[in-house]
Amino acid sequence: MPNSNPEPGRLFPAVPLAAAAAALAAAGLILDVYWLRILTGAFLFATVAQSINIIVGFTGYPAFGQVVFFGLGAYAVAIATADLSTPLIAAAVLAVAVGALFALVCGPPLFRLRGHYFAIGTLGLNEATKAIAANWTRLTGGGAGISLPLPTGSVAANGRVFFYAFLVLMLAATAAVWRLGRNRFGYACRAIRADEDGAEASGINPLFYKTAAWTLSAVFAALAGGFYAAWQNYVDPSTVFDMDIAVKGFVIFLLGGPGTVFGPVIAALALELVSTAVWGNLLTFHLGAMGLLIMLTVLYLPQGFPGLARRVRPALSRAGA
Amino acid sequence: MLIVQALINGLLLGGLYACVAIGFSLIWGVMNLINLAHGSFVLLGAYVTVTLNERFGIDPFLALPVVAGTLFLIGLLLQRYLLNRVIGGSVFSSLIFTFGLNMLVINLLLLAFTADVRGITVPYARVSWHIAGVFVPMTRAAVFAVAVALTAGLALFVNRSRLGAAIKATSFDVDAARLVGIDVDRIYAITFAIGAGLAGAAGALIAAVLAFSPVLGDAYTLKAFVVVVLGGLGSIPGALAAGLVLGVAENFASVLIDPGYRDAVGFALLLIVLVVSRRGFYGKRFYAELKS
Repeated sequence: MPNSNPEPGRLFPAVPLAAAAAALAAAGLILDVYWLRILTGAFLFATVAQSINIIVGFTGYPAFGQVVFFGLGAYAVAIATADLSTPLIAAAVLAVAVGALFALVCGPPLFRLRGHYFAIGTLGLNEATKAIAANWTRLTGGGAGISLPLPTGSVAANGRVFFYAFLVLMLAATAAVWRLGRNRFGYACRAIRADEDGAEASGINPLFYKTAAWTLSAVFAALAGGFYAAWQNYVDPSTVFDMDIAVKGFVIFLLGGPGTVFGPVIAALALELVSTAVWGNLLTFHLGAMGLLIMLTVLYLPQGFPGLARRVRPALSRAGA
Repeated sequence: MLIVQALINGLLLGGLYACVAIGFSLIWGVMNLINLAHGSFVLLGAYVTVTLNERFGIDPFLALPVVAGTLFLIGLLLQRYLLNRVIGGSVFSSLIFTFGLNMLVINLLLLAFTADVRGITVPYARVSWHIAGVFVPMTRAAVFAVAVALTAGLALFVNRSRLGAAIKATSFDVDAARLVGIDVDRIYAITFAIGAGLAGAAGALIAAVLAFSPVLGDAYTLKAFVVVVLGGLGSIPGALAAGLVLGVAENFASVLIDPGYRDAVGFALLLIVLVVSRRGFYGKRFYAELKS
């Protein structure tokens, strides 16, 4: 775990951020369906990366199987809208409830584990949940999955709706990370990351804060999964509980610089644009290329883009002087 | 009788699971590295075996040493030039790195061999014994015997040889090992190579009796997880016992509940052991862990 704390920043850099958010919002009005889809995917993964940022960046617990909440949220929305014909907003509330409840229940036993054991514990949780989703056919449709009711509007209009939905979700997750960087809750989590026993000795209840942070991170992952289900109109166990989603989130989290507020957003946009540009030409091998990219990231950019900037900037100024 | 047959099938399969897991356990126990690419090494071994068999007609059991040697070399090079830069970093940087390696190997296998299910039919595949109404195919029994022999061989090597003692010392305390003159980088390279070689050997055994495809890599990694956690990290007898338990539990679940729950049983066991004891059957806990 790199030691850089989440950088709170004295002031919320309101003007450039508002400009960036406005630019993204305006982009939603002019882009065609293809680019809307790519950016929507980037917002989705930025949200997953921020969810990972909350639990891993703040408490230091390597919640490797974080995709379990994504899958649960996706199934909550799928079951609610397809079988119970609930409106989407209510289904999203259900996704939040399911994700949060699951984290609250599984947190206390799993947080007895540390390090690698916690990582595999969360991985096992995801695999077990995936197996249940694949076999509890009456509720989940089993391996065949669930098709959601098709939306009524045009393809472009629906693309826009989900573009804005994911944009708002990503901004909300980013705002949560920013808040955590400055409030007592976030400080408690970082104290746990630095030294759990020390934190406990100074009056912080580690289990409470770890579980609370996991629940918060679960809410965003579950919402991302829920929106995903509505966006794609289809869920099945191997797609929504796919570890590739968690690992892609982790890579974005790493590239963005662990513990930064806006890094994951920038990294998600960069990764989606690069993957669109490069991997369109590598149809049969794009997952292999992704694997290679993951390895190179860990080897050469362990601190993400901010770490690269820290290394490059002094070199440039030396060269200029 | 169905139950007895399920028990025997489970035990025979369990020996193979133990063999898949011991290399994974060794690497994790000594280097504190969870190698998520372990299953892809197993499959790489299976595909080398199938290629040797189809091109040159080599029997999978005879191919085993060649396959293990090939994977040993690959493991040695990987550790020397790439993995040693990741070890000692954070838990998730090594997890993510080996996950990426896994994706790369699996997709290379998909490119080279496609996703078709493959397997080898040995000439003696139909030889089998009927003992008191229980059906025991000879190939499966042979695979079981080789798997147990490899497991015992590893235990002997670690406990009796000088190099094994150095590996054990490194796993106890890296700094103390350095102080007494052990070249830790070399030990790590050898440990990773042995782990990869054992994965290759397990792959050759799988090729002899089971059907396989590149997409099964993760399933084998996850089985290795379950076995290691059940048996206790770093314990070789524990891995054997846990492998047998997992094989039997899977077969019982598939006979008594539903074939769909085969894989879920392993994870249920895993979560229970992690949460209740986190020591496993032979939890001596001497191998590293619990430092995060």
